[in-house]
Amino acid sequence: MTTTSALRRTPRSAKKYARPSTFFTIVGIVALVYFLAPLLWLVLASTKTNSGLFDSFGFALGGKFNLFQNLADVFTRQDGIFGRWLINTVVYAGISGIGACLLATAAGYAFAKYRFPGGRGLFSVVLGAIMIPTTALAIPTFLLFTQAGLTNTPLAVILPSMVNPFGVYLMKVYAEGAVDDSLMEAARIDGASEFRVFWQVSMRLLTPGMITVLLFSLVATWNNYFLPLIMLNNPDLFPLTVGLSQWQSAASAGGGGAQADFTPIITGALVSVIPLIVVFLFLQRYWQSGLATGGVKG
Amino acid sequence: MGKFPKRAAMTLGTVAIASLLLAGCATSGTSAGGTTSAVSKADITKAMNTPATITFWTWVPKIQSEVNLFEKKYPKIKVNVVNLGQGATYYTKLESAISAGSGAPDVAQVEYTHLPSFELSKNLKDLAPYGAADVKSQFSASAWNLVASGNAIYGIPQDSGPLGLLYRTDILKADGVAAPQTWAEFATAADKVHAADPSQYLTDIPSSNGSAFLGLFQQAGANPFSYTGGKTVNINLNSATGKKVVDYWSTLIQKGDISTDPDFTDSWYQGLASGKYASWVAAAWGPVFLQGTAAKTSGNWRAAELPQWTAGDHASGIVGGSADSVLSSTKHPIASAVFTQFLNSDKQATLDFATQQFLFPTTAATLSNSEFSDQKSPFYGGQQVNKVFAGISSKITGQFGSLPFMDQVYDSFNTTLGKAMANGGTGMDAGLADWQAAVVKYAKAQGFTVTTN
Repeated sequence: MTTTSALRRTPRSAKKYARPSTFFTIVGIVALVYFLAPLLWLVLASTKTNSGLFDSFGFALGGKFNLFQNLADVFTRQDGIFGRWLINTVVYAGISGIGACLLATAAGYAFAKYRFPGGRGLFSVVLGAIMIPTTALAIPTFLLFTQAGLTNTPLAVILPSMVNPFGVYLMKVYAEGAVDDSLMEAARIDGASEFRVFWQVSMRLLTPGMITVLLFSLVATWNNYFLPLIMLNNPDLFPLTVGLSQWQSAASAGGGGAQADFTPIITGALVSVIPLIVVFLFLQRYWQSGLATGGVKG
Repeated sequence: MGKFPKRAAMTLGTVAIASLLLAGCATSGTSAGGTTSAVSKADITKAMNTPATITFWTWVPKIQSEVNLFEKKYPKIKVNVVNLGQGATYYTKLESAISAGSGAPDVAQVEYTHLPSFELSKNLKDLAPYGAADVKSQFSASAWNLVASGNAIYGIPQDSGPLGLLYRTDILKADGVAAPQTWAEFATAADKVHAADPSQYLTDIPSSNGSAFLGLFQQAGANPFSYTGGKTVNINLNSATGKKVVDYWSTLIQKGDISTDPDFTDSWYQGLASGKYASWVAAAWGPVFLQGTAAKTSGNWRAAELPQWTAGDHASGIVGGSADSVLSSTKHPIASAVFTQFLNSDKQATLDFATQQFLFPTTAATLSNSEFSDQKSPFYGGQQVNKVFAGISSKITGQFGSLPFMDQVYDSFNTTLGKAMANGGTGMDAGLADWQAAVVKYAKAQGFTVTTN
């Protein structure tokens, strides 16, 4: 299997483990607490009633166990719009992830395996683009999409999310190692077109890298807030991030008719991270191999 | 994927048409803005019987039931309710939709404090020619003042936020303190409460909330801002009255009798629930808001008028509240204008707002409606809280203006006066002067002519 050979390349068993360092163990534990504490708080807070949130200690169960009522509230509030947001997020993240994966694979493969005029220059541009945070590009993208009349449509979120310069870089590095030139030669001699060489021969070898890019893009789109915030004006099109923040603003702004109703937001936040945790647990080995590829070959 | 080019082309086409239509509207809109000639009854009847769909941006939950009353009365007009949340992101969305030239609603909920900024950019339709002046008499004067600008009317008041005091009667009793009627009594009470239990404060005056602090200015009789269209603003934070208010709180904060924690934060909610703060200077939307977060203290709270500067007065201010405004870009100005008037003056709709969504009413009929004012709340020991706030509302005489850039005003509060409050209350005088200077500087940089009366 290509998967295992990709994994085996990491020199885990080659080296003997060094003596564990007390300092780094402590740093590791501190980091673990730092990252897990908010999640623990989220789980505990999801079980509380609204006033239970404010009259009990944050890292303990408090008052009535209200988790199931909270879940019911989340999915029935505003005629069940939360379910709609969840589906939107899955669709946006799924399509963007697959699209970004295919585009990045094609581009990375081309950069790795073909010599063409301007190739090096273009690749430098891609490398440069990694440095630009997508949030900084959101406003220019919004103006472009306004011109094209695509704002307030799902495409406004999906299309920009399909472009993933880091994915291109990762796939170039991966393709250089995973696809042997002589194999491509053999395919060509057998009469395969360049597209067929890519689609039927090389892509099989690139699968582990592709899944890594898919995951990166999936998570990035799932968590994206600013782009959908400015692109979408219709609550029915919102992803979870924007929808939850809308609920949050309604609960904490005060003003006419305001009710400090925090439980649906907190429980909704918990529900919204569960799919990502599941995806991560099942596919974490691809993350590791993907990250290692970038590290060793870069 | 094969469908994409066709769809994009179609969307492009629609946008091209829409922008043409909008361009047409804009020109007619500006000429209509100059005239004050009223739209005739016949035109209104005709428009209300012509099928149309208007889009309404609002953050009021479950507002559809009130909107249904309108659609029942005017079956030809459909209202598309869109809830995009509230606060700064809402206004950003509204502004970007307006400047993008497409996607803006016909009717939008706008807080009173934000009306001037949309008035400045000429994005609001003057509702006076559409019969708004005829409904004026149904509204409480204090609410109507917030939407009127000269002869123009830039929205119909939906809810209001007259200020009162919510206090813990059990804590005051235990400390042997009577509910304070004047600010002098309040200062004595603050001293006693804090002396009896150093972890308790009579109240919290947040150092992060310029809007709430301006409410205290208003109650003292100061009206620091005014804007009546054009490019002139009046800014007078540093008046004698303003200084009086600041000196009063400065003394209490320096003694440590009053806390200055930022509000609407986790620890603030906990403070209200745990009894760290024995009272809250709250607008009329506060009583229901508080119930949701401090359930364990139910029955111990009471509502009252704010303490007064002069015994026997009944002065208050207004914090929060919003109007429904018609945007200039609408293609259905008459239907939109009639909608805003119906929604906020119809007897049933306004009563439902008050009893279902807990919006504090702006019409005299609902304020005095026993279904609203006689409601007894167990959280407040069976007190008729609505009646207390209705009484406060009816006695407000001051006019409270806003500037076209209130977000900026609140921001500079945090770095000037608010900062001095958070630092133990010293230098609040200078902080007030700095606040005035910062707001004036910003206004001038924006090209306003500034008066300081």
